[in-house]
Amino acid sequence: MVREQGPFKLGNPWPRIAWGSVAAVFIASFLIGFLVLGRFQQNGPTLGTWTAFCRAIGLSAASGSAGEPQPPRRTPTRIAWTNNTLAQIASGNEQHGAFVALSCTACHGEGGVSASTLFPTLAGMNSAVIYKQLDDFRSGKRLWGAMGAIAASLSDQQSADVAAYFAHRPGGLAPAAGEGIPEGGRSLRQRDPAIRLVFAGDPQRGIPPCAACHGPDAQKLGAPALRGQHIEYIERQLAAFAQGMRQNDINEQMRVIARELKPSEMHAVAGYYGGAGGDE
Amino acid sequence: MQRSSRLALFHYWVAFATFLPAVLLGAWQMLMRSPLPAPLDDSASYYASVTLHGTAMAYVVTTFFIMGFGYAVAATSLGRPLRGMTAAWIGFAICLLGTVMAVTAILSGRASVLYTFYPPLLASGWYYCGAALLVGGSMIWVVLMILNMRAWKRDNPGHPVPLPMFAITATAILWAWAAAGVTLELVGIVLPRAFGWSDLIDASLARTLFSVTLHAIVYFWLMPAYIAFYTLVPVAAGGRMYSDTMGRLAFIMLLVFSLPVGMHHLFMDPGHGSGFKFVQSALTFLVVLPTLLTVFSTCASLEIAGRIRGGRGLLGWIRALPWDEPMVLAVALSLVMLGLGGFGGLVNMSYAMNAMIHNTSWVTAHFHLIFGGAVVIMYFAIAYEMWPRITGRPLRSKRLACAQLWLWFWGMLITTVPWHVAGLMGQPRRVAAFDYADPLNARMGGLVVVSVIGGVILLGSAILLIAILIRSHFGLRRQAMPMGYAIAVNPPLRVPPALNGFGLWNAIVAVLMVLAYGYPIGQFFFMKQHSVPAVAVTSELESGGKP
Repeated sequence: MVREQGPFKLGNPWPRIAWGSVAAVFIASFLIGFLVLGRFQQNGPTLGTWTAFCRAIGLSAASGSAGEPQPPRRTPTRIAWTNNTLAQIASGNEQHGAFVALSCTACHGEGGVSASTLFPTLAGMNSAVIYKQLDDFRSGKRLWGAMGAIAASLSDQQSADVAAYFAHRPGGLAPAAGEGIPEGGRSLRQRDPAIRLVFAGDPQRGIPPCAACHGPDAQKLGAPALRGQHIEYIERQLAAFAQGMRQNDINEQMRVIARELKPSEMHAVAGYYGGAGGDE
Repeated sequence: MQRSSRLALFHYWVAFATFLPAVLLGAWQMLMRSPLPAPLDDSASYYASVTLHGTAMAYVVTTFFIMGFGYAVAATSLGRPLRGMTAAWIGFAICLLGTVMAVTAILSGRASVLYTFYPPLLASGWYYCGAALLVGGSMIWVVLMILNMRAWKRDNPGHPVPLPMFAITATAILWAWAAAGVTLELVGIVLPRAFGWSDLIDASLARTLFSVTLHAIVYFWLMPAYIAFYTLVPVAAGGRMYSDTMGRLAFIMLLVFSLPVGMHHLFMDPGHGSGFKFVQSALTFLVVLPTLLTVFSTCASLEIAGRIRGGRGLLGWIRALPWDEPMVLAVALSLVMLGLGGFGGLVNMSYAMNAMIHNTSWVTAHFHLIFGGAVVIMYFAIAYEMWPRITGRPLRSKRLACAQLWLWFWGMLITTVPWHVAGLMGQPRRVAAFDYADPLNARMGGLVVVSVIGGVILLGSAILLIAILIRSHFGLRRQAMPMGYAIAVNPPLRVPPALNGFGLWNAIVAVLMVLAYGYPIGQFFFMKQHSVPAVAVTSELESGGKP
């Protein structure tokens, strides 16, 4: 009985249905897997049919990369803290800078003490910081309103001059170095979340203490002193780093840290630096 | 005791004697991965233990249990003595020798390859020889199953082969196809390197060959559970089988669609293009069909039984079922776990979604729920059913047996549900220790502790199982009831040849295997070279890693 209905006798219903349905499933999955999915990697066709087929069988050496737009390679800034850069900044002439600064005061305030929370106070800011930010605005590494055009109109020397001028204006930011730490401040058991973050950070989330770079009592090259800065300005910059809107931190450290901060923590830290900190 | 019964009993003994220590290892491994302190806190022991646990559970327990089950089914469902008893005992001895060799190699610390055959990790040659003997010995069983079915058909022309025999033969054929992959890998690639006849090892080719075995072996394990669903559950529930034809179709579909699908274990493998991965992913989805057929048919059989017992209304038949019968309770618990695990499996087999959970704890949790849960609980029920019939000594207490099944069910759920979640969080599988001070791991700590609790419950259930079997074994001998299989509502008088033999289905499997695996395997001989130096896992290497 088995003999009269062998596996390849397609005249009989069972072999016909079995072979037919298996073939249909296989052909459908073959077409989808080798042609459709290979060709339509995104919404439109990204590969030619032949290339897609070659990739589907695992031969991709000669087929080149998929026709997807690649993001341009990006460096966060043009500034590196070389001796040349530091010498350039040190050569800044305060008197020349005062002349250049005439075009800054409309927004950043008389003598660099800004009255508006939209604009940061520049008085007392480290000259290297101002120099780097100007260069970042000039090269489009940092974007904000008119600053790109204004920075583009300045030469490197003029940037150094105006940086030196603002760095030495009084009444703005408190100097980063040379101040004490609040009592018990470096403890992770500190109750106040702002003081805990500023002086001890949060190792579990990989957040170093803010004060290690921004003061009080410490300073890193390129990191601005923050005590006395506008609360809203600091908070906005943290949010911009967190969302990737601002990307000119050389080692991506601020983007990494800000992404870990909750909005309430951003507010608390900004409040610590901008609020009580500036008045002391 | 019948001669074939003694044969089955010896196989069961080996299976369950291996089972208990393997559960103990599993519980310890979970403790080791948890934030809690574990005795013998040493990663080399952990990897050896994973290898032993996996080898015991996946290869030894299953192979011996299924072989024993097959012999028992062949003798009882055909109603005549098994042919080839001598060969069967030789096969048993070969499998036992292979098991001893493999276990010795693992215990010596020279085979901690995590019970897979994934080069370039390379164990001692003894381990692979042991595995090859285990597989080889089981091939004698395969041949005996096919010969017994064929002989019965010759003696009973025109009659349908009884469903249990048809299904166990499907299991045997499935295992023969599946074992071809790992056998080719062992003989062609791994053993020559393990014995030092070659220097390099083609890792990608070896992994591809292993994938042929990898998924079908899971269905090999599953088949006895499905056979019980169709043929034993309706008897225990006091009813009839819903459909004999549906059973035949389900076992045929399992045979056809569990084989050309193994590459879904290789979705992340660089050796293959996306095309064949997708094709095999799509074919994998088709194994859902026989599973759904089986779930439907089992529920229908239970409903028939419930209504015969006087159940009324839409769901009243459920209450009327004999829930104090271990087999009935086991099938309900098994279907719950099969359902939960099945949905997890849909994620594993999907080409795109697999990327989320590849090599995470999710995968381990998945196959523990499906195999360790849905399948093994049916092994227990089969043991409770068959032990008294083989030995003539009834179960001392069905209540205790039901308690053991409940413990296993809850233990498995408590273990695997948090395990799935930890996998989704990104916890890798097969890792000895985690730094729970790391914030990434810290949130998984609690979940693993819950899994440890589940592991302890499972261990308790396993001890109870062995205690019940041993107690019953020394109980009073009574007249043994013969093994009875369910009769269908409409018993088949004649079935089409396609549903009474495997010629057509073997031909389809052969063609599908050539289509699905021909190029993926063939490419390594013509186009690609993936030969790399092997990484030998020896005790020196492991102790060398530590100060």
